[in-house]
Amino acid sequence: MTTIDQEFETVSIDINMGPQHPSTHGVFRMVLSIDGELVVDVEPVIGYMHRGGEKLSENLDYRQGIGIQDRTDYLGNFNCEHCYVMAAEKLAGIVPTERAEYMRVICTEMNRVASHLMFMGAFGTDVGVFGTMFTYAFRDREDIQRFFEELTGERIMYNYFRVGGVAWEPQIGFDAKLTALIKRLRQGIADIDSMLTTNEVFVSRCKGVGLISAEKAIEYGLTGPMLRASGVKYDLRKDEPYSIYDRFDFDIPIGEHGDCFDRYAVRLEEMRQSLRIVEQALEQMPKTGPLMPEKMPRMLRIPASECYMRTENPRGEYGIYLVSKGGNKPYRLKMRSPSFSNLMALREMTIGEYIADAVIILGSTDIVLCEVDR
Amino acid sequence: MIGLLKSMRTTLTTTMRRPVTTQYPEVHRPIPERERAFPLLLWDERVVEPFCTGCQACERACPVDCMTVTMRDNPKFKAGESKRRKIVDTFWIDYGRCMRCNICIEVCNFDAIAMNNTWSGHELSVYDRQELVMDLDELLAKSYAGEVQAWVPQA
Amino acid sequence: MSYLLLGTIFDVPARWLDAIVRVGLITLWMTLLVLALTYIERKVIGRIQQRLGPTRTGPAGLFQPVADALKLLTKEDLRPRLADRWVFELAPYLVFVPVFLGFVALPYAHDWGIRFFDLGLFYILAVTSVNIVGWVMAGWGSDNKYALLGGVRAVAQMISYEIPLLLAALSIVMVSNTLDLRAIVEQQHRIPNILIQPLPAFIFLIAMLAETNRNPFDIPVAESEVVGGVTVEYSGIRWSFFQLTEYSALFIFAVLGSALFLGGYQWPAGGRIPGAFQPWYGLLITGIKAGMIIVAMIWLRATLPRMRVDQLMSFAWKVLIPLSFVQVFVTGLILVYSPWGWGLWLGLTSGALLAALFYAVKVGAQRLGMRRPREERLEAVRQLTAGRGV
Repeated sequence: MTTIDQEFETVSIDINMGPQHPSTHGVFRMVLSIDGELVVDVEPVIGYMHRGGEKLSENLDYRQGIGIQDRTDYLGNFNCEHCYVMAAEKLAGIVPTERAEYMRVICTEMNRVASHLMFMGAFGTDVGVFGTMFTYAFRDREDIQRFFEELTGERIMYNYFRVGGVAWEPQIGFDAKLTALIKRLRQGIADIDSMLTTNEVFVSRCKGVGLISAEKAIEYGLTGPMLRASGVKYDLRKDEPYSIYDRFDFDIPIGEHGDCFDRYAVRLEEMRQSLRIVEQALEQMPKTGPLMPEKMPRMLRIPASECYMRTENPRGEYGIYLVSKGGNKPYRLKMRSPSFSNLMALREMTIGEYIADAVIILGSTDIVLCEVDR
Repeated sequence: MIGLLKSMRTTLTTTMRRPVTTQYPEVHRPIPERERAFPLLLWDERVVEPFCTGCQACERACPVDCMTVTMRDNPKFKAGESKRRKIVDTFWIDYGRCMRCNICIEVCNFDAIAMNNTWSGHELSVYDRQELVMDLDELLAKSYAGEVQAWVPQA
Repeated sequence: MSYLLLGTIFDVPARWLDAIVRVGLITLWMTLLVLALTYIERKVIGRIQQRLGPTRTGPAGLFQPVADALKLLTKEDLRPRLADRWVFELAPYLVFVPVFLGFVALPYAHDWGIRFFDLGLFYILAVTSVNIVGWVMAGWGSDNKYALLGGVRAVAQMISYEIPLLLAALSIVMVSNTLDLRAIVEQQHRIPNILIQPLPAFIFLIAMLAETNRNPFDIPVAESEVVGGVTVEYSGIRWSFFQLTEYSALFIFAVLGSALFLGGYQWPAGGRIPGAFQPWYGLLITGIKAGMIIVAMIWLRATLPRMRVDQLMSFAWKVLIPLSFVQVFVTGLILVYSPWGWGLWLGLTSGALLAALFYAVKVGAQRLGMRRPREERLEAVRQLTAGRGV
């Protein structure tokens, strides 16, 4: 046990990390109370990015609202769109076409890879690699984005899923391009793996940092890689298969200790599993067929009802609670964003660590501030 | 130490690979045909007038209200040159507001509006936001000059 | 005493004039050097990251450092309102001048150098370590918590790594039996010291990285933690002094390392070159060696993550310093008592110690970087926050 020397009065100083700090991943502020290098207290301050997405959705019909979902989580856009269109389909009683389901799975899983690549890059920078991880990750993420650009016309804000299916046909040479892309991505993931996973400096920085036990993780409502790193095998794609995820064979990687290293390792493995899913989906996907069901109304009106739809996003469980009172617009739309819940465990993880650890713990939660504040 | 050497080997191998940089202002990478830059109006060369009839379907469907459209009677219809009873009178799109969602293209009944799928749709930096509000002439100019091949989504 | 460089080229008679010309020469050389080094670093790191690096200014971006320098010179020199004026404004010079002085004694070739001292090694190591004062002043004077943190980190790190650096140099001094850099170099005409003393060479490399605040020891200026550390409040010309210092120190240690361990301008074949070409050969070979060390440091910078403060300190005090003490001790024992000549024995023992260092790093990384257990840290936090209900 350490005893603090009582002869000198030591005062912990507060430093504001953020909202313009390079490693707070957006407009986020941590008020760190530090004693030397030791973090005594931390207070997350959020809300700089609040745009009222939930309220805005109430004024937009079911096609326009997809745009809001793109802008909720700007790294997992397809995943958010997926949740939204599935919620609307559930209420309207529309069954999406087979081919569109496969397109959606391919898009969401590729988007998961892109999102985790972004995590790898940012995490590498947080740990202190001078940009190399960042460029490796962005090199491959850019590849995915170019692929999506050919498919949807946009690099980030895709707006491609529609209630009932997807908006338009995939580009010419979709299969071949995707296969080539997967091959390049595997190489890129191998680069990241060989660069960090066994690197002694990286390992000693991340192992045992930001510990959170399985019980605590469940108490805090953590989801996604954060929860799985603590050893809880919980993934909506397996436990409550939505869309067509029950047709694919993939593993759920879990960690042992729930430290930063496990979170990194879980995400790294998840990228490989996502690529496996994409390969299977590409194989099973019908080559022709409609992308939208026949007899879709021009303007979708949903009878008075409500539902909660949840999907496994790159950052965890994304939920949409959709209430309709009839008409073409939602009466209420509530988004349950995984980043927000994951961020709330920051205090639990950070207190008692060092300043340098606070940075990588925040990095390992992989928050998207757009999604936290909505 | 083995791990450090392994990472150093990785950085060495990537040094040997070709850089992925595109030297942007000199080299414009080819952008796909579906590129969604900003919406434009199309010019009907056969009748020498815009395709747009000013029906305001896009204006109503726009999630961010970035469009303003008015219509008028088409003088060429009276003269028998055109089948369009009404024609667009004024059309403004605020590019600063547009979020490039492609919905206006989907709702258009006349295929009169299309996304600019050339680089000119991206290189729009201006000093004053007001310059981003495009009027009818500016919206038609690209199509009039034949610089845009519109891609119409098929679903 | 002929100091070829000025003594015979310009044949300056007056000693004061001679001194002024030499100082001017260092300034010029140092500026050019820093410009070149920043360019090289950006290009090399760019290639490592599959980018191109600077390409815009001049052919292949050659004038990028010049453009940067001009930008820095024309920027406003800001001072925070509550900063301690004199401390804040003098600190960059105190960081810079010691490194500047270090340039005086560097040996580039047998008679190419500004001055040659009998205690050259001692001089360089003594003078360059003075700039810790400047770092402290910059950290304190900035009136910024990040700067303060960075300053404290810098001091802790530099003082800690001074010791292994000195001990590594000391074992070379024991082998060479002199502090004169030229004598040290010329003794290596057959075998460079790195073969005789591999462990000190390695420790020197590590300590050198720490002294110049570069990855994986860029903790005092960590961008993602303390946003640049002590340099956070500086702008324009004062900021550029820190930059100048970093790269000049890099160069000093590279030349020093090549002189101490790689045989400087002498090895290989320095003695067999005809007299007229000897200085040119020496310059070339020193340049190549120093360049190799610098490229290695840039490569390390692009590869390694940053260490944490406590890991850094544990590494210095628990691994490097004991090992270098053992090395000094073993070297002394062999030099005094070995009946069969000492070269081979020194190489073997030092190699064994180097293996011990690698093993220590391996074990240390597995033991989570030798940090205090979490319970202990939490207990400390609890004591600190006892009255605050946190």
